This record gives sequence, C-alpha cells and structure tokens, in this order.
Amino acid sequence: MAPAAQFEVAQPPKDAISALSFAPGSSRRLLASSWDKNAYLYEVATGGEDAKLLGSFEHRAPVLDVCFGADENEAFTAGMDHQVKRIDLATGEQTVLSKHSAPVRCVVYSAEHSLVISASWDSTLNVHSTTNPSQQPLTIPLPGKPHALAASPSKLVVAMTARLVHIYDLPALASALASPAGSPAPQPWQQRESSLKFLTRAVACMPNDAGYSTSSIEGRVAVEWFEDSAESQARKYAFKCHRQAAPEEDGGGDIVYPVNALAFHPVHGTFASGGGDGTVALWDAEAKRRMRQYQRFPDSVAALAFSGDGRFLAIGVCPGFETGMEDYSGEGRTKLFIRELGETEAKGKGAK
Amino acid sequence: MGKKKRGHPDIEELLARPWCYYCERDFEDLKLLISHQKAKHFKCDRCGKRLNTAGGLSVHMNQVHKETLSNVENALPNRQGLDIEIFGMEGVPEDIIQQHNQRIIQNFYTAQAERQAATGNPPRGFSGGQGPAKKIKYETPEEIKKRLAEHRAKVAAQKAAGANGVPATAAPTDGQSPAQGTSPFPAPQPGYPYPAAPGSAAVAPYAANPAYPSTTSAFPPGASPPPGATTAPFPLPARPPSGSAAAAGAPPYFYNGAPAGFPAPGAPGAPPSTVDELVANAARQGNGPGGDDIDQMIRMAEAGIRPGATATAGKTEEAGTGEKKKKGTRMVYGDTEVSPEERMAMLPRYRWVEEAAA
Repeated sequence: MAPAAQFEVAQPPKDAISALSFAPGSSRRLLASSWDKNAYLYEVATGGEDAKLLGSFEHRAPVLDVCFGADENEAFTAGMDHQVKRIDLATGEQTVLSKHSAPVRCVVYSAEHSLVISASWDSTLNVHSTTNPSQQPLTIPLPGKPHALAASPSKLVVAMTARLVHIYDLPALASALASPAGSPAPQPWQQRESSLKFLTRAVACMPNDAGYSTSSIEGRVAVEWFEDSAESQARKYAFKCHRQAAPEEDGGGDIVYPVNALAFHPVHGTFASGGGDGTVALWDAEAKRRMRQYQRFPDSVAALAFSGDGRFLAIGVCPGFETGMEDYSGEGRTKLFIRELGETEAKGKGAK
Repeated sequence: MGKKKRGHPDIEELLARPWCYYCERDFEDLKLLISHQKAKHFKCDRCGKRLNTAGGLSVHMNQVHKETLSNVENALPNRQGLDIEIFGMEGVPEDIIQQHNQRIIQNFYTAQAERQAATGNPPRGFSGGQGPAKKIKYETPEEIKKRLAEHRAKVAAQKAAGANGVPATAAPTDGQSPAQGTSPFPAPQPGYPYPAAPGSAAVAPYAANPAYPSTTSAFPPGASPPPGATTAPFPLPARPPSGSAAAAGAPPYFYNGAPAGFPAPGAPGAPPSTVDELVANAARQGNGPGGDDIDQMIRMAEAGIRPGATATAGKTEEAGTGEKKKKGTRMVYGDTEVSPEERMAMLPRYRWVEEAAA
C-alpha cells in the first residue's frame, strides 16, 4: 500500500494562512498567502517527507488569496491593499494587474480561458486577460460583497453576502472582455440563493464541471449541480459537519464551527472540507458519504489544497476567528501540514 | 406459558454460532469471527498488519520482518499450531468441531436445567403440571458453592500457571477442589424429558479431557503467555440458579436454605443469570482488564449497539427548509453579514490604510 504520511512544514507563514494553492499538473510547488503580508512558495521534496521554502514575496498589506497562473512560475495574489498582483516566481517581479476600491478577497485563474478573476469587498469582479496584459480589465458589479470564488472549466461561482450565489459562464466573460469598451457588463448565467441559511464561507467547483459545493459559517456543506433541469436541481443536498457535542455542564447541544475550506480532488472528484473544529474530512459527493476524517489538528483549519495530480493535500492550520475576538493573532500557532495520500485514500465508491 | 424465549437461545441457535478455533469464543456472525481472528490471532506484532490466516501471517513475518512465526498468538495452549489453516470456520478439524458442539450442548442443558429448577417452569413445549421439573433434585447451595470455589481455584491456578509457567494441575490452592476428578458439569438427570445429551457420559470428565490440557507447558518458563490463554473459556462454572428469575417469583424454598455466605442475587460477584451474560463474563475474563477495543466493538456489534453518532453525509437534509433550532447549539462564529476576514481586516494588527502606504 502506498504511504499515507503527513508532515509539518518546517517554515510556516508567521501569521494566519488565508489561502493555499498547488501548481497545476504534477508540479510539487505550493503557494500560501498569509496575513503576515507575504505569499510563500514551497516545494514538496521528492521523497515526499519535507517541503522546502523556496521564497517569500512581501506585499504592502495582508494577502487574502493566492493562486497559480499558467505554470509553476506565475502567481496571482489578492491583497488587502486593494491590489491584484501578478508575481513572476522565478524573478520575484510583482506587477499590479488592477486596483479595486476595497480589499481584494479572492483571486482565481482559469487555465482554459486564460483569465484572472478577482473579487473585492467593493462588490465588483475584475476580469483580466493574461494573453493580452495591456488590455483594461473588465469590471462587473455585484449585488453584494463577495466572500468566496471558484472556477470550474467553464463556470465561475461567486458567493456573496445575503446568501447570493451568481454563476458566470467563463466563455461569455472571455468574449465580453474582448468586446469593445462601453458594451454592457455581462449578466450572470445563473442567479441562485444559497442552499445554506448562513453566511457562505467557501466555494469549490467539481473538476468534472458538473457542479460545486459551498460551505457556511454554521457547520454545513451543500452540494449543487450547474445544470438547470428539475432532476439536477432535485439532486442537490446539504449536510451538517464540523460540529462537536458541547460538554453537559455547558448545557449540552452542539458547538457549531464554520467550514472554512473546501477542495475537490482533481482526479477522483471527491472533496475535502476543513473546519473551525480543526478537522479535515473527505467526502464522496456522489455516494453522499463521508469517506475519512483525519485526526484533529491543533487549531482551526483555515485552508486546503490538493496538488494537481491529487497526491498531496496541503492543510493550513491557525487559530480560528471567533465571535467577539478583539485581539486576534495567528502568530506562533500557524502551521502548514502536507499529507501524502495513499493510492485509493481519496477514491470514492461511486453512487450507491 | 413457555412461549416467550426470554433471550435464552435455542440449542440450534447456539450450535449455529460461528466460533473461533483458536480461543473457543463464539460470535454472532462469521464476519465478526473473521475480524476477531484477524485482530487477535493473525495480527503482526511488528507492524500491526492484519492477515487472513496463520499461514499468511507466517509468510508476512518471513518476508517483511525476516522472522519466523512459531505459534498463533492468543490461542489456547494446544491450538497454537501453524499446521492447520483456519479462516473463519473453515479448516477446523472434524473432531474439534465435535468436541465444541458437545461442550455447547452440555452447557445448554445444564443451563436449562438450572433455569427450570430456579423457576419451576416446565420445559418449553410441555404443558404444565407434569411436575418432574419442579421435583428435580438439584444441587444444594453448598454444592454450588463448592463448585464455584473449584472454578475459582482453577482459574486462579491457571493464572498462576500462566504467570510462572508452573503446570496448573500442581496448584489447587483450595483444599476442597479436587479439580481433576469430578466434572463441573453434572450430566442431565435420568428420566428428564429431553433427549439425553449426546455423549453426555463421555463428556462428563470434561475438565480432564485431553484436548484441553490444563498445563501451560507450551509456554517457555518465565515467558508471559498471550492474554487469551490465561483463562481459557472452557471451565465455565455450571450455572447456579438465576438470580433475576428467583427475584421474579422463584419458589422460596431454594433460598431459605442458602447459607449466609452465598452471594445474594444481584450482588457483585453474583453468578451470571443468562447464557449471554455468561458468554460476556467469559469474554471479559478472557481479556482481562482493559480488553482491547476491537473486542469491545465486536461485543457492541453483537449486542446490536451501534457506536454512537456515525455521521455520514447520507443524512441529507432538504436544502432550504426551515432551520430546526436545536437546544443549546452554539455557533463559534455567528455573524451572518460580515465575514471573519472582514472582522480581522478591521483589527489594528492587520488594518491597511491607503494613505500610509502611498
């Protein structure tokens, strides 16, 4: 049996991790963005028992999201300083792609359409073309503040406050970007209301382009399908997770943790969820089963990422932000774990 | 009358239960038996890998750890051999099966006779008023006490033998227990309205049966034997009348004569009252304190208890239906409008001011 080993990265970010992202393909490079104003580049060693820090890229303000571009030498970051940046990881050169009027919460790269899309708390999306850097980014107004963003091969899912979910068609965005300035902003392909009652925390798209899953601050995950037919919509479901029974002396009941991170396995199509309870669970979306739950991590799981070949799962752990916290700091308690998955560890059993 | 089974299994049910060749435990179903064998007898003590058979474990030890497996772990002293390939109930020699069945039958009739003696009920399938069941001359409390003492002495002797490698036969600690001569299993009474237990006469000197040598010479002196071997499950005491049944209206004559030293029903150390309890007790003894959790799980599965709260995503909820407010659920983060990141961004530690950077 292939090893199922897990190790802790020796030089984790110095403050809370906001996002993790593996390079495309079979590359072993991993990016981590942190509230300590840096984006970190790691490479998992060939033996799979260590990850080396290749470099860090300092920003003016905390980095809220990071993703790879077309290859393992290109990265995009979303900064609290309102900027969307492209980083050449080989030279360390940073270029500003666009500027929002509020902190940028998320950034995603669509390899299929060579687009970089950023979402900011100024309630706009910026769509940038990587093939034509001189082109002005396309700005799309949103009805609410975006909190999570994810791209599938053909769709872009934006989750906002007030449980709004907009799904954009990526080819339509690409053509809107190419069309002359002044044309009307593209409309969402679908507008939905989240199946979850509470604030959306994370969104992830299925690698097979069939649907997506969302998670909320109230220990719940929903799985939905893109196709707008009655049958497909009837298949959607939601379930509770990342909860703990409260001790009896505290009145019993459940302590409900936010589900901070979701990530689909690129090969098997199963997905992982990471919650404020410090656990990571693997789910089979088709069979509606939990396949695995890993040993509790010392703090809240803030971010998750599968490597391009699905061999590794990166887990960012730092203290969770809870209601009423006045002095949050992830310093000293931020950790980065990398788990090498066994051959069939993330393989689902398929629908019943 | 007599229609309720009261949880006493039929002899057929008892005989149908799969059991483990190595330690004589029986199980609810074959799957449990196999998982027991993998966990108890076919587990590699180097790496914890669970193999399917003793042969498989032997090959594994040889190839992976370059060691030779000499005996099956946790097995009864005379069943540690690697020559017999056992998987579940497959491969158990015919004569061993016969011995096992006889033991089960013997225990069954003994248990049933006790139940009847205790309750005065006629055997199942017979109308009341026939009387013999009530009149059965049964063991006096002194006899029961004596047998209990014998059993305890034997268990203690075996423990001692297990600990120092002294043959158990040499250590009857209690003067009143001629452990080898008398059978702890009284044969069914003559004239009893049951088919005589097959071979009951042959089985009578059960404890002295050569198949179950009570010596532990198989262990090298000083070596600690596997836990399962210290208290083999076979010398179970014949069961004294059921305490609970007595409480539920047993003829008072029985307890009237009981000496003060006899354990009161329900008191700690009271004899078990059902077959299941007996089995459970034997299992408990077999494991000693802190029996391992696989056994615990098997026992729970046998009892039909599911380990609590196995959360599966299968329990789906209708998306978008009203929220059931559970008592006392507490959300770690409860702001439904502002995300944790926005709150963090407002903290002085992380706040970013355009002018400062400009």
